[in-house]
Amino acid sequence: MKFFLSFLSSFVLIISANAQTENTLPIDENGKFIQYEVVNSTSKIDLLQARANEFIKKKSKILKLKKSQSDTVIMASGKFVINKTLLVMSRPSGEVIYHFQVEIKEGKYRFWLTDFKFIPYMRDRYGNFVPSTTVGVPLENNPGKLNAGEWEAYKTQTFKFTKEFAVEFKNEMANAIPAAKVKPVEKKVVKKEW
Amino acid sequence: MKIKLLLSALTFGLTTAALAQEAAPLQISGSVDTYFKYDFSKTGNIKTSFANEQNSVSLGMIDLALKKTTGKASFVGELSFGPRGQAQSIPNAAGVYDETENSFNIQNLYINYAFSDKFSMTAGYMGTFIGYEVISPAANFNYSTSYLFTNGPFQNAGVKATYAFSDKVSLMAGLFNDWNAYQDFNGVSHVGAQLMVSPVEGWTAYLNFLSGYSAGAAGTGTIYDLTTAYQVTDKFKLGLNAADYHVSGGNGGYTGVALYPQYMVTPAVGLGLRGEYFTYNIPSVPNPSVTSITFSANLKAGGLTFIPEVRFDNDKDFSQSFVKSNLTPTKSASQFSLAAVYAF
Repeated sequence: MKFFLSFLSSFVLIISANAQTENTLPIDENGKFIQYEVVNSTSKIDLLQARANEFIKKKSKILKLKKSQSDTVIMASGKFVINKTLLVMSRPSGEVIYHFQVEIKEGKYRFWLTDFKFIPYMRDRYGNFVPSTTVGVPLENNPGKLNAGEWEAYKTQTFKFTKEFAVEFKNEMANAIPAAKVKPVEKKVVKKEW
Repeated sequence: MKIKLLLSALTFGLTTAALAQEAAPLQISGSVDTYFKYDFSKTGNIKTSFANEQNSVSLGMIDLALKKTTGKASFVGELSFGPRGQAQSIPNAAGVYDETENSFNIQNLYINYAFSDKFSMTAGYMGTFIGYEVISPAANFNYSTSYLFTNGPFQNAGVKATYAFSDKVSLMAGLFNDWNAYQDFNGVSHVGAQLMVSPVEGWTAYLNFLSGYSAGAAGTGTIYDLTTAYQVTDKFKLGLNAADYHVSGGNGGYTGVALYPQYMVTPAVGLGLRGEYFTYNIPSVPNPSVTSITFSANLKAGGLTFIPEVRFDNDKDFSQSFVKSNLTPTKSASQFSLAAVYAF
């Protein structure tokens, strides 16, 4: 009996742990998933610009700067990989590409991630996973009954990614000094003098 | 007691799975395929690689691949078991093509080191860089294979260096063994190179070159190959493969071209055509040629793909020994096949 109770409690814990991730992204007025935030800031506009650019530079492997119409509007295209994991094994199922935009004004800035599109991966001749096409399927699309389970997992991972991305970006924007201007800490040499 | 053990194992498995979502230490992937083929002359006329067994629900292979990356170093090990990955591939575990020694086929077994984001080196046994089609059915649109694929290299063992000048241009150069050989008995005898260019988004072209003197060959074999694909619209993709292979001293070879238009009706339903013209360069006789048209559909549900396919081959020079149902020679052959491929 005790054993069954402990099994049941473990099972409930697992379900509740998974349930925490069953959130979805909000939808904008065009019916597209969006991660949108407005943040008040006491920093000056040029400093916020520098920090936003520095963030994109740091993330150059997953974010590519697009041409912007003004200095206070920064746009980038990004991607992240969706992994399917079981026990100690893992493999990428595909990648989600997205649009990232930052707009800066005096005293505040806003940013959003949207236009999420899924590109499935396939294994190439060398055993590596690569995009099977250059055309992504919008994450808002209905995948049909057969692919519904996997599609939900993609949306859940995308939601998790955007939450983490937003936290990381806000932390970068809140930095007192842009990372590029941070002076390296001088190494203290311990001299054995006495 | 047994129930306790099972439930404990299940709980442990689920807990581990939940925790493991944060890490991806080892990639395990692969595919399984099976097919039914029916030749309308009631005999196995078309002799390209794989899917040759007439009026039978037959096996392809199970393909298992491991990949691990630690820092800048990675390895890939990929083995296949089953007719497609054994007797119908070359070589097998014994290093030779031999039905009696038929065991398993190594698809990939190599180590890679990325010195930087742009420069990497790879050594081992790798899927060939030549051609459009590959052994794994999960990476091909059509289930049956082209004459270009069947007559070209399957794998190359060697050491290669790849430098990416940008996202749009990269160059690979390397030294390789004889085609499809784990060990080269006349020294590392081949030199190969690949130039990749991607002039516009969605268009990638590979210019390939491989030349060398294989053990026991009549001359030096040199192959020039162009493999390219262009995603013309969201739904329409066009692929092309053209190759010329000749052995010095007029000792044989082949020339061919194949076109691969593909149209995705929906993300789960695709239609594709392969049109191929292929010529054997045979010493002292007029070069025989073959034309082939293959129409395939891809019906996808998760990892599963159904591939119904109809194929018509025309052999105007009787080089393929096609026969009618009454076994008299004929110039044409046609077949239907239905394959199921599951990739994981």
